[in-house]
Amino acid sequence: MIRFDKVFLRYDTGISLRDLNFTIEKDEFVYLYGDSGSGKSSILKMIYMDMFPNAGTVDVLGSDSSNIKRRDIAKIRQRIGMVFQDFHLLSDRDIYSNIALPLELQGIKNDVVRSKVTLKADELGIRSRLSHYPHELSAGEQQRVALARAIVNSPDILLADEPIAHLDEKAAAEVVKYIWKIHESGTSVVFATHNESLLKKDPARAMTLVSGEVVKDRQL
Amino acid sequence: MKLSYIIREGIIGIKRSRMPFMISVFSVTIALLVVGLGVLAVDNSLQFIGEFQADYDLEIFLENEATPFQKHELAAIVKDYPGIFRMEYLSKEDAAALYNAEFGEDVLSLLDDNPLPSSFRITFEEDHRSADYILTFIQNMNELDGVDEVIFKKDLFNRVQGIMQLVYTVATVTLFLIILSTVFLTANNLRLMILARYEFIETVRLLGASDFLVKAPFFLEGGILGFLGASLSVLLIMLAEYCIKYYVHLDLPVKIIDHPEVILGLILFGVSLSSLGVLKAVRKMLRFVA
Repeated sequence: MIRFDKVFLRYDTGISLRDLNFTIEKDEFVYLYGDSGSGKSSILKMIYMDMFPNAGTVDVLGSDSSNIKRRDIAKIRQRIGMVFQDFHLLSDRDIYSNIALPLELQGIKNDVVRSKVTLKADELGIRSRLSHYPHELSAGEQQRVALARAIVNSPDILLADEPIAHLDEKAAAEVVKYIWKIHESGTSVVFATHNESLLKKDPARAMTLVSGEVVKDRQL
Repeated sequence: MKLSYIIREGIIGIKRSRMPFMISVFSVTIALLVVGLGVLAVDNSLQFIGEFQADYDLEIFLENEATPFQKHELAAIVKDYPGIFRMEYLSKEDAAALYNAEFGEDVLSLLDDNPLPSSFRITFEEDHRSADYILTFIQNMNELDGVDEVIFKKDLFNRVQGIMQLVYTVATVTLFLIILSTVFLTANNLRLMILARYEFIETVRLLGASDFLVKAPFFLEGGILGFLGASLSVLLIMLAEYCIKYYVHLDLPVKIIDHPEVILGLILFGVSLSSLGVLKAVRKMLRFVA
């Protein structure tokens, strides 16, 4: 599903990622663990083709980063859900419109959009917030909205970039619980975090990054 | 369904960024108002100058002895001559009537016989209206039987033509510069409008929107913006004409309402300027959004 083959990524300030070789299979849950600047976000960005390696190839859902066309990137992203630490919600749209956006972009009929959005909002406990705007919600609720948006079109992969970094303990626990729930329904998850306790608590594969190198790959 | 997304998003985009949208409409209105007023000012100036020119370019006077057959032949030759826009035949009787109208006296009451000759009044097509061309024409006419004299007020003709040419050249250069600055100012303003929508563009790209799907609603929005701006500018030009008529007491010979092609041109210019300007701004932004 995701394959990094001899991947190097160089920033202007120096090398960021070096010689990454790993594969993430279908239905896997993987923690990318490391300090800030260790390269977690760069790996996620290469998975959703926001960044490209200077050497080596990244293969995602059968598409190779070395020869992918811009229009195919859009198609891949329709199969990848993403959540970020700063939520990336559109502040001038209500929660319903935020969650519905990926479906609308795919040209799905209004009634189907409505039923899918309502279903996901129910699952994530934000149904009553659908007519609100992001700034009216707590950080935990906003992250749940971002999660609902990420999974509303049933993606093959969910990428989570420090999704609990800005949340209090209770909200963070809820978000992690929802992400596991999403994984259990058959979605592969790549979860970037600097929170070591998650790795200790959750039985999942964990790749530890230090200065752009995978120094440990805990397999289950 | 994607079409419905494009239309809905285009309209929602306007609602969501009302203020930048209104500012952009206003800037297009002002830009096209300047262009429209410029075009009208030039047209009216040329019209005013043109009034100094006679109703016709030259007059061919025929010999008194010219037979009806000769007149008929001459009329056919002149009519078929390249570059003739209009030819009017004035009989001896018409000439007498004109004399009467101009000087208030009946030429037949002064003299026993009507001494005024019959003539052809000639107007040339715009692209044949040059002194050189007309002089060649006169030379050819003078060689024909039945032609007595060809009268052409060359000095006046040249002067009016010269002024019109100068006005035309200055106006064309000025209008070109105005249009150029209009394009730059509007494009810059539209870029600012799009810059304010960076968050949306970045998010929909991340959610899997193709470049086309990102651009299309903005293209539509730009088109609506341009249409509104251009329509407003046309209304303001009409208002300006009304004010000139009722407050300055000057009835302009050329009005925008008489020229649907100018109205259509302004609207098409506004729509294409805005939609393409928006498209360019979005395309530029997409370079920075993966």
